[in-house]
Amino acid sequence: MEKMSRVSTALGGNALTGRTMHCHLDAPANAISVCRDAAQVVVAGRSIFKIFAIEEEQFVEKLNLRVGRKPSLNLSCADVVWHQMDENLLATAATNGVVVTWNLGRPSRNKQDQLFTEHKRTVNKVCFHPTEAHVLLSGSQDGFMKCFDLRRKDSVSTFSGQSESVRDVQFSIRDYFTFASTFENGNVQLWDIRRPDRCERMFTAHNGPVFCCDWHPEDRGWLATGGRDKMVKVWDMTTHRAKEMHCVQTIASVARVKWRPECRHHLATCSMMVDHNIYVWDVRRPFVPAAMFEEHRDVTTGIAWRHPHDPSFLLSGSKDSTLCQHLFRDASQPVERANPEGLCYGLFGDLAFAAKESLVAAESGRKPYTGDRRHPIFFKRKLDPAEPFSGLASSALNVFEIEPGGGSMSWFVDTAERYALAGRPLAELCDHNAKVARELGRNQVAQTWTMLRIIYCSPGLVPSTNLNHSVGKGSSCGLPLMNSFNLKDMAPGLGSETRLDRSKGDTRSDTVLLDSSATLITNEDNEETEGSDVPTDYLLGDVEGEEDELYPLDPEHAHPEEPEYVLPQEAFPLRHEIVDTPSGPEHLQDKADSPHVSGNEADAVSLVPVDSSFSLLSISHALYDSRLPPDFFSVLVCDMLRFYAEQGDVQMAVSVLIVLGERVRKDIDEQTQEHWYTSYIDLLQRFRLWNVSNEVVKLSTSQAVSCLNQASTTLHVNCSHCKRPMSSRGWVCDRCHRCASMCAVCHHVVKGLFVWCQGCSHGGHLQHIMKWLEGSSQCPAGCGHLCEYS
Amino acid sequence: MFVARSIAADHKDLIHDVSFDFHGLRMATCSSDQSVKVWDKSESGDWHCTASWKTHSGSVWRVTWAHPEFGQVLASCSFDRTAAVWEEIVGESNDKLRGQSHWVKRTTLVDSRTSVTDVKFAPKHMGLMLATCSADGIVRVYEAPDVMNLSQWSLQHEIACKLSCSCISWNPSSSRAHAPMIAVGSDDSSPNAMAKVQIFEYNENTRKYAKAETLLTVTDPVHDIAFAPNLGRSFHTLAVATKDVRIFTLKPVRKELTSSGGPTKFEIHIVAQFDNHNSQVWRVSWNITGTVLASSGDDGCVRLWKANYMDNWKCTGILKGNGSPVNGSSQQGNSNPSLGSNVPNLQSSLNGSSAGRKHS
Repeated sequence: MEKMSRVSTALGGNALTGRTMHCHLDAPANAISVCRDAAQVVVAGRSIFKIFAIEEEQFVEKLNLRVGRKPSLNLSCADVVWHQMDENLLATAATNGVVVTWNLGRPSRNKQDQLFTEHKRTVNKVCFHPTEAHVLLSGSQDGFMKCFDLRRKDSVSTFSGQSESVRDVQFSIRDYFTFASTFENGNVQLWDIRRPDRCERMFTAHNGPVFCCDWHPEDRGWLATGGRDKMVKVWDMTTHRAKEMHCVQTIASVARVKWRPECRHHLATCSMMVDHNIYVWDVRRPFVPAAMFEEHRDVTTGIAWRHPHDPSFLLSGSKDSTLCQHLFRDASQPVERANPEGLCYGLFGDLAFAAKESLVAAESGRKPYTGDRRHPIFFKRKLDPAEPFSGLASSALNVFEIEPGGGSMSWFVDTAERYALAGRPLAELCDHNAKVARELGRNQVAQTWTMLRIIYCSPGLVPSTNLNHSVGKGSSCGLPLMNSFNLKDMAPGLGSETRLDRSKGDTRSDTVLLDSSATLITNEDNEETEGSDVPTDYLLGDVEGEEDELYPLDPEHAHPEEPEYVLPQEAFPLRHEIVDTPSGPEHLQDKADSPHVSGNEADAVSLVPVDSSFSLLSISHALYDSRLPPDFFSVLVCDMLRFYAEQGDVQMAVSVLIVLGERVRKDIDEQTQEHWYTSYIDLLQRFRLWNVSNEVVKLSTSQAVSCLNQASTTLHVNCSHCKRPMSSRGWVCDRCHRCASMCAVCHHVVKGLFVWCQGCSHGGHLQHIMKWLEGSSQCPAGCGHLCEYS
Repeated sequence: MFVARSIAADHKDLIHDVSFDFHGLRMATCSSDQSVKVWDKSESGDWHCTASWKTHSGSVWRVTWAHPEFGQVLASCSFDRTAAVWEEIVGESNDKLRGQSHWVKRTTLVDSRTSVTDVKFAPKHMGLMLATCSADGIVRVYEAPDVMNLSQWSLQHEIACKLSCSCISWNPSSSRAHAPMIAVGSDDSSPNAMAKVQIFEYNENTRKYAKAETLLTVTDPVHDIAFAPNLGRSFHTLAVATKDVRIFTLKPVRKELTSSGGPTKFEIHIVAQFDNHNSQVWRVSWNITGTVLASSGDDGCVRLWKANYMDNWKCTGILKGNGSPVNGSSQQGNSNPSLGSNVPNLQSSLNGSSAGRKHS
């Protein structure tokens, strides 16, 4: 309402009203022009030339100017213009080079007035002088511009652009004698109408053709040009050299450009191909259109603001044979739809966040939530021309980093690096991993490992280690088995363990008894473990060593100082042939399934609800008493693995799967295992834990996984002596029969990590080469090559 | 618990997307100023812009990294109706700008006739594939048959969604039991209350993507959508940014129970719904394990959501977008205006879950 009243004052009482509407034409339009009364529009094209009245609700055809029997090429219009002073005067530019004027005041049906046949090729543009009634200007494909006085039969003057075709001519609105013309070679020329001999000024405005230009209705010096280079440029012509004020990037070549009335920085554009939309830009925000009209289904060929003082009505004609009136408030607004924020979670728990500065600037200035953002109420506010430009939108970019120890993913990396997955007896693996988990503050995981040990290893070992610990450092930092291993400490979500607990009705918690009885059997159980669980390959290790050596008891023992538990760089020492199915521990652990498995014992698990506060120690004791086979628990353990996987801790699921090996593998379907493996490996690779990842691949039993590290393993190397490519025969060159893997520094054969220069083929021990290249940039072999190590 | 590190992005217009690479050591930003910038993390943790170049002739909506196995590759999509694939060229530095790496355009995907609103690379195990979606409601899946040749992409699938699309997300699961799946969100704001999230699944037999599910309860414009990293889970978790934050779980119903050959049936539950942003939610992003969801809204804040052992999702942190003192975001998360207001949400999520459940 407010807007309408403003419009009516501007128009002296004749407020424009109307709505977004369109009408079908019989043929594609090439150009449109509006009568100065803002109530009529003329549409011209190859086979159409009509005048429409713009009514409140619709377009009404008023006059068809294409009369006569034979279709004349003179009527095939490339451009049309309606005189802004004389409501009866129109001019068209024909594709055959003819310029025609029309007088609507003629009484006959044929309104054709004058015919100028001076141009040799298509006339691209015609333009009336804004204040002079009889002056018409034309620009043609033949490279000439002509000025006509409608009172005379011929042109008054001819202007030669001295270059290629003229695409647009426009009289300056303020300078009586000046007009601008644009050319296909990218130039813009400024002419004085009194001096046809040479142009006043010429400059290159675009790369490629300049299709259009438009003088600013208020700023006398501003000229907007649009070109095939998809740009709209605004030039200040008042200075000595034309100065580029603004540059708008559109998405397609610019066919028409029209300044928006009453909005100093707005202009409308349409494109010549590909893009059918009309955009309105604020030249100060050159990247995002302020508004977009999407009605047309084919190229928009003509645009015109309906009234020189009304910014809300835009008319357009299109190749899709429609004539449209667009209301500005119905335009879609890419700015409003555009996402003002970007957010990404990083690998280490850090967050990158980019947000529009106005959103994050002042909490107080925030608008309350009022439903849909695109409610029209915002449009009106936003597009009120009186509203000052809010400045270029910009975003604030922040990365929120997790403070050390604040819940980043370091636990994952530490866990992956420190877990032992194979190479030692099951009990040790479990204990080690439990210890790692506990040191990283992951008590639930630690307890799980401990429980696995209880389940799958003879119970005797548990108290023995426990005993050691309590002897070593007292209760506070010992294994939590004794004093804190009750269900209250466990997350209630650990369903499987809870059930495990409930399956036993025994509520004894006599630790002293347990201790003593367990200690008695420590030794024999140890032997049993070695005999049954340890794969023969692993016996190379120090399994038979003292318990004390295996479990350093120093409470101050921080993890970096425990090299014996950190995985060695080269995976693990087990060296086996690379075969398609890696020989994990499972081949050797069949004995773990004790002979007296009685099938469905798991079914017998009774779910007797019990008080959840009693100690789990009672279970280990009970286990010991009844000697339940480990198979009994496999259902529970599988449930537990699934639980961890569903919680997102696939690391635990895979680690347990590998450590337990054949004990649980058969109970989990192959596809799930593969899924876990691939997920975990992907995660390890994200953290660039290549060695751990490779170990997991090696230890996996899934075909699809274990083949992962056997693809693309071919290395192409040259002999370091004769520089010829080595055959596949290993490290002995079959040409010079010398071993190519000699270290260039120490002259010994390299076993292990070998690094070589791809430029000169010389190399050697990684350490040696690194050390050498610290002091010298030349190849240690003395070949003079400048090797680089990075 | 968080430290804000402000970065002078120096984009000339709004930044629409930020994206970390596979290892979290590089970051790409894209903006309406038609450029993409690449940031590398230094040893000290600072982010340095190592490349900035004009990528499109319109606003760049999204930028995303390919798996590093395919090289240092980015894809971007824009208002100019194209998506583009970029590769970093190493070595032979034309040392004009030292420290600036060189990115070359490998391909332009020009099939869309309207603004391309999102682009995402498929999970690595599917090969080098990417999906785009556009404002005209078509999701396109492209594949580079030769991973060594990034300039050849063939359009494999065109999926019509009937609604203007705003965002897509691939299901990241690497399990053979889970067929390739794409969730598509729409920001269509027309008043019809159509469901705005559709899920398409690849059918091995017909070799086409077919609609598997529609999240009927989401009827407001959707701005972002994200599957959580799967990491061995048997079910899928999907976060939706609309006028609020919503989290859905999709549990595949066992194949034997459904007619074989057809699309997988899912048991869909809404497990959380939060309107704490009190405004439109623009972005959702999962942490690497899929246990914490970050969301950002018109209030200029990032909120972190985490489930407890009971699978109740709670707000665990609020970060202010201007990097202003994140004063005790942890307290804020635990103590609570947020928790208090969660209670009614919890209710609604329970209601929602029964409503969202599918009876197939």
